[in-house]
Amino acid sequence: MSARPQRAITGGQGLRVVKGRSRSKRPAVAPWMIMALVGITAFLGLGFARTSLDKSAFDLAELDRAIAEQTDINRELRLEIAQLENPAHIAPLAEEMGLVIPRETRQLLVDLDPTSPRIVRADDGEGTQ
Amino acid sequence: MAAITAGKKWDPSRARLALMGVVLLMAWGVVAWRLVDVQIITAPEVADKGLEQRLVIRDLPPQRGKIFDRNGDLLAMTVESQSLYAVPAQVEEPLYVAQQFGSFLGVDPDLLYERLTSDKDFVYIKRQVDSATAEELLALEVLGVYSLPEPARVYPAGDVASHITGFVDIDGIGQEGLEIVYEEALRGVPGRAKFERDLAGRVIPQGENNIVPAVPGFDLNTTIDLPLQYQAQQACMKAIKKPVNAASCWVVVLEVETGEILAMTGAPTFDPVTKQTSDGEPFSNFAVRGVYEPGSTEKLITVAAALEEKTVSVSSVLPNIADVLELREDACRSADDDLYGCYRDFDEHETRDMTVRDIFVLSSNVGTIKVAETLGQSRLIDYIKAFGLGSPTGVDYTAEAPGILNFAAGCETCWASAAIGYSVAATPLQMAAAYAAIANDGTWITPHLVASQTDADGTTQMAGPVTRQVVSEETARLMRELLAGVVDVGTGTNAQVEGYRVGGKTGTANILGSDGRYTDATRASFVGMAPIDDPKVVVAVLIDSPSFKYRTGGASAAPVFAEVMEQALHRLGVTPDGIE
Repeated sequence: MSARPQRAITGGQGLRVVKGRSRSKRPAVAPWMIMALVGITAFLGLGFARTSLDKSAFDLAELDRAIAEQTDINRELRLEIAQLENPAHIAPLAEEMGLVIPRETRQLLVDLDPTSPRIVRADDGEGTQ
Repeated sequence: MAAITAGKKWDPSRARLALMGVVLLMAWGVVAWRLVDVQIITAPEVADKGLEQRLVIRDLPPQRGKIFDRNGDLLAMTVESQSLYAVPAQVEEPLYVAQQFGSFLGVDPDLLYERLTSDKDFVYIKRQVDSATAEELLALEVLGVYSLPEPARVYPAGDVASHITGFVDIDGIGQEGLEIVYEEALRGVPGRAKFERDLAGRVIPQGENNIVPAVPGFDLNTTIDLPLQYQAQQACMKAIKKPVNAASCWVVVLEVETGEILAMTGAPTFDPVTKQTSDGEPFSNFAVRGVYEPGSTEKLITVAAALEEKTVSVSSVLPNIADVLELREDACRSADDDLYGCYRDFDEHETRDMTVRDIFVLSSNVGTIKVAETLGQSRLIDYIKAFGLGSPTGVDYTAEAPGILNFAAGCETCWASAAIGYSVAATPLQMAAAYAAIANDGTWITPHLVASQTDADGTTQMAGPVTRQVVSEETARLMRELLAGVVDVGTGTNAQVEGYRVGGKTGTANILGSDGRYTDATRASFVGMAPIDDPKVVVAVLIDSPSFKYRTGGASAAPVFAEVMEQALHRLGVTPDGIE
């Protein structure tokens, strides 16, 4: 759309070249818009990244707390197991149930003959297959 | 033209606008200056102040190591507890709180009331309460009562292993037993956390966050067998009840080849929570710290030394062994004269020739002194020391007693007394270690309680025990045969264990009174091993002040020995050797 000078018409006395009105150049908007867009995007991106990091950190802290809690529970359960397994705890219960520590052991001597393994001597002296 | 005309007149609205403009400008100027001041000029100082407010530095206490028995059963561990405290100024009804909380927590209400009405900012109601109890009390929502978490040491095996583990104080620092011996290893290394937090106390994620984690303490893997420890304790408990009615009973069980202590316990028992024995006495461990005159159990050393030095043989006959021996003229003026050179056998008998075997099996004091005479004082003392008497065994336990060797210069009869277990004093552990040397073909091994330590990097075995050859294999074998004779036909028949050949020696020593004379009260002991041909276990039993009927080692200590030895052999899965 730039003004182009009209070709001079030969012989036309009444015609002259008129200098057109100078028009100011339109500012280049596109680079600024791109820069602004990049800036906004970067700002938003940074904000998003920061928020994500913070969220992850909070999640991590929450997990740490949960781990600590579970570890405490685990310790308490281990303690409970150890207390329940304590012979001093089991022995009276066993006694209540009528169980006793075997005092008289029974010795078995085994003949390891592969064809006919057998007990050749028990305390009562009887041999059994 | 109109505007110009108007401009020339005083226009108050324009003036106000101008004034406002100036004021605004100045305000913005102040703001701008403050911005420059805060952001540039005093920025570092302000930043530091802010950081100071947000920054928290905390010590991270390490988790104290656990203590396990040889099967991996827990003997001691640390759990999280709650310590209840109060801010006295906030407590509205101190009397109510003192009565309710005091009775519930077992704290003296008067003492608690005194605390709650003090002018302090912080008082403990009770430290290290279990979490459930604390929650229950906090649910009452009593004003001014709070809790804070605190680690607490607990002993799941209760009083069964308390003589081994010992205990810690309220701040978790070892005070007795393994807890103090291995304090440094168990304690761990504290960490340090440096972080920023917001007003609500939450960690600021992107803030400064520097954590040096605490290093947990080592776990100790002991040599103790908890079920056997329990059996030994139960056997001892019987001895302090009627009819034996002893003042105390102590048992040590050693594994022969390794010197590992499988059990070490006693009665009365010790509660690691109340930190008192069942008699209300403070902690003691006579097995390591108590010394007693071992009496006839010491004859093992005398006879072994003589056999090793070949001054006698097992079948050597010593002539004219009476039941009384005077080493000083007129030492035995009366039946009560048992000091300064008068020695009597436990039972009266006619003077006769006796073999070394008979002397040992029948536990003749006079005969043993005659055997020691062939050896000489110097060599006898050397062997007593070689068997570990008179110096600590080196067991990993605190305040071990070295024992006493009384060979004062000029003492003419001390050597004879020492030959039969007087004039020397030893701990039950020393006697067990001495017998273990005979069981272990003449090699003495340091008894020990901890086999290894475990941390995050794995398990570290403890340094091997000290060993030394004190007598030859042959002498040890001969001594084992003599010990078997004591149990088969001698003074220790109550120590027999069905299915196994057992060897051992009884000991009965009168207790020295405060007037320097021996009293009628005795310390009865039995130390023995099984199976006798290839011993795996040594058990030492000491009964302090049993009733008169049970005053001898054969009557009171031997049955406890038999019970403990039987369980030890079963626990270790030792094949019976006593089947005919």
